[in-house]
Amino acid sequence: MKNTVPSLSRRITVVVALPTALIVTWWFASAGSQNFYFPPLRTIVETFGKLWFSPQSMQNIVPSVARLLIGYVAAAFLGIAIGIPVGASRNLRNVLEPVLEFLRAIPPPVLVPVLILFAGLGNEMKALVIVFGCVWPVLLNTVAGVRALDEVLAEVVHSYRIGPIARFWHFILPGASPQIFTGLRQSLSIGIILMVISEMYAARDGIGFVLVQYQRSFAIPEMWSAIILLGIIGIVLSMIFRAFETWILGWYHGLRQSQRAG
Amino acid sequence: MVGAASPMLDVKRLHKVYADSSRTVEAIRDVSFSVSQGELVCIVGPSGAGKTTLLKCIAGLLAPSSGEIVLEGQPVVEPPPAMAVVFQEYGRSLFPWMTVHDNVALPIKHKKLDASRREDLVRDALAAVDLKGVEGAYPWQLSGGMQQRVAIARAVAYEPHVLLMDEPFAAVDAQTRADLEDLIRVLWRRLRVTVLFVTHDIDESVYLGQRVLVMSHAPTVIMEDVAIDLPDERTQLETRSIARFGELRKHIYSKIQLAKQGWRPPTP
Amino acid sequence: MSTPTTNVRAGINARTIVWLQGLAGLAGFAALLEILPRSGLISPLYLPPFSTIVVALFNEMMSAEFWSALDDTLEAWAIGLVISVIAGVVIGIAIGSSNALRTLTHSTIEFLRPIPSVALIPLAVLLFGSQIQSTLVLVVYASFWPVLIQVLYGVQDVDPVARETARSYGLGSWAQIRYVVWPTTLPYLLTGIRLAAAVALILAITSEVAIDTQGLGKQIADTESGGAVAAMYAYVIVAGIIGVLVNVGARALERRVLAWHPSMRLDSAGARA
Repeated sequence: MKNTVPSLSRRITVVVALPTALIVTWWFASAGSQNFYFPPLRTIVETFGKLWFSPQSMQNIVPSVARLLIGYVAAAFLGIAIGIPVGASRNLRNVLEPVLEFLRAIPPPVLVPVLILFAGLGNEMKALVIVFGCVWPVLLNTVAGVRALDEVLAEVVHSYRIGPIARFWHFILPGASPQIFTGLRQSLSIGIILMVISEMYAARDGIGFVLVQYQRSFAIPEMWSAIILLGIIGIVLSMIFRAFETWILGWYHGLRQSQRAG
Repeated sequence: MVGAASPMLDVKRLHKVYADSSRTVEAIRDVSFSVSQGELVCIVGPSGAGKTTLLKCIAGLLAPSSGEIVLEGQPVVEPPPAMAVVFQEYGRSLFPWMTVHDNVALPIKHKKLDASRREDLVRDALAAVDLKGVEGAYPWQLSGGMQQRVAIARAVAYEPHVLLMDEPFAAVDAQTRADLEDLIRVLWRRLRVTVLFVTHDIDESVYLGQRVLVMSHAPTVIMEDVAIDLPDERTQLETRSIARFGELRKHIYSKIQLAKQGWRPPTP
Repeated sequence: MSTPTTNVRAGINARTIVWLQGLAGLAGFAALLEILPRSGLISPLYLPPFSTIVVALFNEMMSAEFWSALDDTLEAWAIGLVISVIAGVVIGIAIGSSNALRTLTHSTIEFLRPIPSVALIPLAVLLFGSQIQSTLVLVVYASFWPVLIQVLYGVQDVDPVARETARSYGLGSWAQIRYVVWPTTLPYLLTGIRLAAAVALILAITSEVAIDTQGLGKQIADTESGGAVAAMYAYVIVAGIIGVLVNVGARALERRVLAWHPSMRLDSAGARA
């Protein structure tokens, strides 16, 4: 293993090398393309600029992301709030585990038709779909995280008579947080999928909605630009999540590193 | 110090049985002893002697099957505020998501002290265990010995009347152990706290204690209550070379050998 | 926390209790589904009572349509999964075995991973319409990544000393892979397969709902728009049961294969659910 830390410029080069090469290849390979379904990259990029850097683009981007965030945050709270008592009680866990296993195995997009029955075609339906889909990874991982809390630490908390609120804030929540974040990460991917699906199925605005519109009206470069936009949103959200996780779980990464070194 | 009016800690006919659906294990058969205010008592015994079980019952972490534990006249049913425990697994007894300072401050946060008093306690406790400049560090950034010092500082800041220590230096290297043993004696003197120290190391128990309670194998009873008549001023080098040290050590060692063979004192 | 049981009968008792508790939970859930609509708290138009749903399920199971839909879903799932696993293993081992390749592709992988597979739906529709190929595009794209990531973890975990030893004995690349890389990677691969199997099923059914390809998802969409609400729930339950079977099956496979395999895995990130 090399021990020298590569210079900043070298690191940047490594990161952008392959992606740049791929994009350049795509650009030139599609330059003279007559294929209807695969227009030149140049056309797509031009369309992208026209389409998504206009003020109207916000009319679609904002509702989509807003629904996603509302549904995701609600699912996170719900998953943690239910997961902690279930994780702490063995009996509760035994009773609920089969039911939860079943509910989480239902593919979330299947709930779109179901929730249309209950909540119609509006924003509530979409937010609910996201909540129902995103709650399971958070819930199940919270349960696992609470189960795995260190027994010695639990005895320390007991012996110093630490009260239930402090116990929650300083022991249970931080202790389970690495596992909870695993669940939150999975939920994010599922949330994005559900956001798109619910908009493809029944909506008046949103990125999924316009994506399907473009496809139906055979506006191919526009369709490609929307696909790329979704990809970019996915990447950006993932990066924001990772930054958040690094901030909250800084102690955990340090701990793991010291364990591996020791 | 010894023989005060009423004992600080009174263990009466403690009996502890573990039972699950398949079998029962009698960990402690019958243990009774008293500890006076300000005493440093060591508990030593072979592994499997239920020493940790005994300590946990005294600490209020485990409920005894029968018998009673009385602390300052009050029966112990749950962890009492006048007691602090230092565990063996120092790595797992500190919160890895908190700094050293927050770790030490956590137990006293609910004690209704004002912030400046709390800060004083934390600072003094860390100084008392010879830790300087680590308040902002995380436990996993420190060595094993330092982590255990933090755990001890946390107990000290809690201002307990009784300090319970469960084989605290078993997982630490010999040199660090020697330093920590001396630290305990210094703290014990300065804070005038009552200490109950569980160990499997006979030398350590003789070096530290004013009394040594020798435990038998499970089902545990007390084999003997040995008075350690060594001088009060103890140093690693000198005290361990005194003849009396060797005698006491040999005596306890032979008692433990008897315990391992299953011998136990006749019931009174 | 649990002491080893020396009494076998007592051991069985403990496990039976857990089973009974779980059964009680399921029964309670079914009872809830029965009572809520019947009491009027939730309109039976939106949520038929559990008994009605069960009857609808049996009805559906007697129709040929049910079985062909089930077959279509499982076919898409299985084919897509096999493709992703093979691709993931081959590409993963190839990339993982070379430090240069790994660092070069790292950013690309991290960029492509978070792209939601559903973004490809319109493209798939244009190219393949409502045929199974559309579904396969989505299934393969989504389930490829878990396999690849896990295989990369596995190859990275190979003991460098073992690799050096193999090389010094003159073992060719193929032999190295077979005797050194593969055993270490296997536990990780199984985790990847477990994750990929779940994702593949979700995407298969998703694409059937969204694109209208034949399968359970299409049945759910059709029954909903056709007003056969009880039948819709019946299909939802079937989808859930298939999902549970896939999860349980994948976990059982993992345990079976790793039972004799000396698991060299430490606390890797891939070990989490």
